[in-house]
Amino acid sequence: MKELSLNILDIAENSAKARASLIEITIKEAANLLTLIIKDDGTGMSEKTLCSVIDPFYTTRTTRKVGLGIPLLKMACEMTGGKLEIKSREDDGSGAPHGTTVVATFYTDHLDFTPLGDVISTVITLIQGHPDIDFAYKHSLKGGEVTLDTRELRAVLEDIPLDTYDVILWIKENLADQYEAINK
Amino acid sequence: MTVEGLTKIIDCSALTMPDPEAEVTGAYIGDLLSWVMGRASEGDAWITIMSNVNTVAVATLTGVSCIILAEGVTLDDEVLSTAKNKGVNVLSTVMSAYDCAVALNGVLR
Repeated sequence: MKELSLNILDIAENSAKARASLIEITIKEAANLLTLIIKDDGTGMSEKTLCSVIDPFYTTRTTRKVGLGIPLLKMACEMTGGKLEIKSREDDGSGAPHGTTVVATFYTDHLDFTPLGDVISTVITLIQGHPDIDFAYKHSLKGGEVTLDTRELRAVLEDIPLDTYDVILWIKENLADQYEAINK
Repeated sequence: MTVEGLTKIIDCSALTMPDPEAEVTGAYIGDLLSWVMGRASEGDAWITIMSNVNTVAVATLTGVSCIILAEGVTLDDEVLSTAKNKGVNVLSTVMSAYDCAVALNGVLR
């Protein structure tokens, strides 16, 4: 993909499909290393499925719902010398914690590093598309941190849905302001 | 023009050709797989320098007639056997993507 933010969108959509109630998106930038973590509390995957999401054929041929998302993200990080790790714990019905965590590392000084791109639009698109799921977004940069937690917004907004136009607009401006404050 | 016919006309060699009768109806050049996925057309000869298993996956999704690896790029054995199993033709040429497209233009039009 042309922007990492599109990969983030794609992976987080998988979390939504796995019936997650909370999706945590963390981006850490330190020196020449960018770490992207997408963690959900969805249904998780069995060992067998976990192997299949890395293989583009298993996914494109038999379970189209997963798609090439993971293989392309894996390729994007490996092209910079980084790596992709996925940990998952399947929901066994016992009430034990379950979900999937995707950790991708990138060396940002490699020529083939894909720029992060418009990550604000990704966050907005996710919230708009899944107003009932909670998102915790955190981007640590050299100059500070950009955060957004829909659980906090929900506590303030009470019954107002997150996909209300004014709320979305506020989130968008708030994120843009946070980035601007850091870049100053 | 079939893929097999193509290998006899332009300067390239077949790394694997499980479907020699596939009809080449056009050409597409691209290395960004997600981009190619939405833009290459069925029957295209797809010229690229990307040679991993995802390239083969995108070829099956788009239904291109063959992958042409430019600049002398080749496939490792594992990817080659995947291509063979999935019925994806893979050719290799020492030409640049540009020169390969120019050669194809002479053949396809």
